[in-house]
Amino acid sequence: MIGLGRALTAALAAALAAMMVVAGTAGAQAREVSITTNPSRVTTGLGERFSFQTTIAFDGATASGSLIAHLNILSLRDGTYVDPEDWSSERTVYLGTLPAGGLRTITWNIHAVNTGSLAAYVTVLPQNDVDAPPTTGTAVRFEVSERDTLNAGGILPIVLGVPAALALLGAAAHLARRRRGIANSPGPPLKSTQ
Amino acid sequence: MTATAAGTPPKRSASGWAVVGEREIRDLWLGGRGLLLSLAFSMLLSVIAYLVAANQALNFLEQRESVNLTLQVAVASGSLLTLLAAADSVSGERERATFESLLLTPVARLGITSGKLLGALSLWLGAFVITIPYVWYLGRGIGLVGDAIVTGLVIGTLLAIFLASLGMIISVFANSNRVSLSLSLFILLALFAPTQFPINAQRGWGEILLRVNPITAGEHYVGRILVNGDGWGDNLSWLVAPIVAAVVFVSAAAFVGARFVRLGRGGT
Repeated sequence: MIGLGRALTAALAAALAAMMVVAGTAGAQAREVSITTNPSRVTTGLGERFSFQTTIAFDGATASGSLIAHLNILSLRDGTYVDPEDWSSERTVYLGTLPAGGLRTITWNIHAVNTGSLAAYVTVLPQNDVDAPPTTGTAVRFEVSERDTLNAGGILPIVLGVPAALALLGAAAHLARRRRGIANSPGPPLKSTQ
Repeated sequence: MTATAAGTPPKRSASGWAVVGEREIRDLWLGGRGLLLSLAFSMLLSVIAYLVAANQALNFLEQRESVNLTLQVAVASGSLLTLLAAADSVSGERERATFESLLLTPVARLGITSGKLLGALSLWLGAFVITIPYVWYLGRGIGLVGDAIVTGLVIGTLLAIFLASLGMIISVFANSNRVSLSLSLFILLALFAPTQFPINAQRGWGEILLRVNPITAGEHYVGRILVNGDGWGDNLSWLVAPIVAAVVFVSAAAFVGARFVRLGRGGT
């Protein structure tokens, strides 16, 4: 019984030690990844497309594990709903492994679909190590200016005018039909073969 | 349409399609039916356009989507009008007892069905003209008017030809006008159903289904240009189904019109 208890204790200690080593490795790997963005600020108009670049560097002594880069976008002002999917349809890049001292540059294509002050940042996390903390780069700030958009008042002449015009046209055709008596005789008959 | 007896039986003319087409268009539009359907169509577009324009939180992408939504509703409704008009063209005339006099005219069967097809397609052209001011208003701020009008005209016309031909074929073989109209509507709904597929179902076999179906393929092509900003040549493979459907079904309608149009019901 005592032997079994010792064995269990030893196994537990070994497992804890292994977990600490793994956590230490993961933490070290996270510290060895650095992310820089260029440019750091973009001024554009609503509906415009632009891009910025992120460079991911790995400073470890050996090759990194598989890495994933993910882009996120948010508004810096309260009350603006931002759906990052609208801004960029490809926001996750599977980088694979980076060699020791290796670099990888990603170009993110962005479509400005909201006005206001917004920011984007890229996070890199290991693909196979859920315990490792992600690394986040510096944010890129977007200033998106207003553009003429729709308004309900402006479209009123069309949404009322088109049906009204068609109704008038129909009434005019109906009156003309009644006057000419073509309601029952739509036109000269075709000649038949018999 | 009406006909009168003549002394000598003239030779049946295959080019009578123009005469029949002109008479069909005249009956449809001066008779008031075309204008009434167009009025209903414009009211539908007005409601949709007002709702999308009244949304104060509309962002840029949604504005593109609003143009796309309006145009797709216009294409779908315009195609529906042509389908209904074509589905009524032969079976309806039979039930109204006006088909016999039409068959007695010196116009070939092919000419009769072609002229009726032309009349049905005029409803789509009318619907398209009505759509232009709505699309212009919604798309002018984002430079989308030209693309929207051209894609709407191309895809809408292909789908209208396909559906009008389908309606005509059904109408020739249908035992009654009610059967013709309900079967046409059922097929139209079945063709539109895949547009409601969730995103996950639009991959693999789902994508093949979307590509084969002329309606979904056409709508996808319009959406890629209007919402995603793709070029005209970027998604040409999605145009294959609408083009093939238009060509095959109009040929089939011509064949059926020439061979199977009879006074009796069900093409007999």
